[in-house]
Amino acid sequence: MPNRLSSSLAACVWIPLFPLRCEEARHEGLASYPTALLAPDTARKLWQVSSLARHAGVKPGMTVSQAIGLCPTLRLIEPDPVHYDEQFAALLSALGEVSPVIEPGELGLAYVGTDGLEGVFGSVAKIIDAIMCSVPHAARLGWGVGKFTAWVAASRAKPSEAIVVPAGTEQKFLASQPIAVLPLDPDTHRRLRQLGIRTLGALAALPEAAVTAQFGAAGTQLWRLAAGRIAEAVEGRVAPEPIVAALTFFTPVGERELLVHSIDQLIARALKHPRRIGWRVHALRLRADLESGAQMQDVAGRGAACCASTPQTNRSWLVNVLLKDPTADAARIAAPLKTRLEQSPPTGGVERLVLEFTAFAPGTTELQLFARDAQAAARAGQQRALRHAAREVRMRVKQANLFHVIEVQPWSRLPERRYALIDFEP
Amino acid sequence: MVAPARAPLRTDRLRTVNEPRLVTVELNAGGVPAAVENQLRRSGGQEEKAAVIETVLEMWRIDDEWWRQLISRRYFAVILDGGSRVVLFEDLVTHEWFMQTA
Repeated sequence: MPNRLSSSLAACVWIPLFPLRCEEARHEGLASYPTALLAPDTARKLWQVSSLARHAGVKPGMTVSQAIGLCPTLRLIEPDPVHYDEQFAALLSALGEVSPVIEPGELGLAYVGTDGLEGVFGSVAKIIDAIMCSVPHAARLGWGVGKFTAWVAASRAKPSEAIVVPAGTEQKFLASQPIAVLPLDPDTHRRLRQLGIRTLGALAALPEAAVTAQFGAAGTQLWRLAAGRIAEAVEGRVAPEPIVAALTFFTPVGERELLVHSIDQLIARALKHPRRIGWRVHALRLRADLESGAQMQDVAGRGAACCASTPQTNRSWLVNVLLKDPTADAARIAAPLKTRLEQSPPTGGVERLVLEFTAFAPGTTELQLFARDAQAAARAGQQRALRHAAREVRMRVKQANLFHVIEVQPWSRLPERRYALIDFEP
Repeated sequence: MVAPARAPLRTDRLRTVNEPRLVTVELNAGGVPAAVENQLRRSGGQEEKAAVIETVLEMWRIDDEWWRQLISRRYFAVILDGGSRVVLFEDLVTHEWFMQTA
């Protein structure tokens, strides 16, 4: 089912504080107030903080009461992870109009493979323009050979700005960058700073063997990244059509047992879907639309009266699960969902529960006998993209030579009689 | 491969695929193809491109449709020196050679 595309030239699109940007886009005027988003797993701590709030001393991880103490005018927002997820999916889809090779990172970060796009858009500047036009928020964009160079360039760019690192100049560009751009754990970062290494150039100037001796295999990786020796390609994926099962409650449900029962029902329904036959579930997502309104006032009420003006928000609850061992067993699929439900339950009554199987792995040999339907269905997403591309080509070129290959006499011993072409009409 | 639509096919819209192309074949002493010259149609006229046959993978013969217009062909599945795999056949009625993709 997975079908990988790759590109060595990469554009990194980065929208820092993506969830907060989504809320600002949804609530007009919110950007002009100090704002903080509550953590999705615990409503008592802050997750993301706007620059105005940061100026007042508010930091992510603080408790609500600490934050309100520092900034009485702070506006608190309940998280709506489903909305952020949908917005990010829309962003990836818009980028998919520019390039077929898209690799999502964390929320608000995506890599666009740009190999061969000069033939479509004309130049790097035009490719960057096309990417920028497809992004709704003020994104930072970096362009270079390999994902790391593109990411570092994006992290140095200002909002709505692009930094291009021409091929062959990666080492020079990376040398002056701070070591914080490396994927470091806090301990390694501290040790590097204690050794007086503050830039990638300083790290790359050390012998590779010495860095490996100090930091092990991770050190080798860091040294190679710093020296521009690694150019990881952007790996695009053709996402299969998810299998969705949903349940809408007549009245909002808060009881844990009923939610557990509903999850079991949804898993059973999704597993019975004909497209699932022959495939094991590898990734799934459970999302809940929550009753809106009251909870926000509760949280705000703990802090200060100022929060009476807090905007009414849609609230949701989201669990993304990547199963280490893909499975078609309902109990094993349900286990991580139930654990999450136990550890950080929804912060309000659930109005609608939706389960999606989003990635699949081939089933056992026996099950593969029935996999043809699943494969055909998994190609549905590709078919839709193909129809869209065909319409685009027809709009641009009047006589587009696009054809279906159809079977005429597939049994014929004469090769030229087996297949024919017919006009492709999406 | 895209599945055919449910709508009835209009045969006037069909185009052939893998139509045999006339080629000139050089045979070795055993009567097996050793080299092939492909006539490529270019805007400035015709151009010939020769390729040496590296390996003959398989050979077979078809005699069919004797009741309407006899089809009698001797097929060779071969690999050319560039690594491409093609099918050559000799029309045993006209003794012309053709090439198709494998």
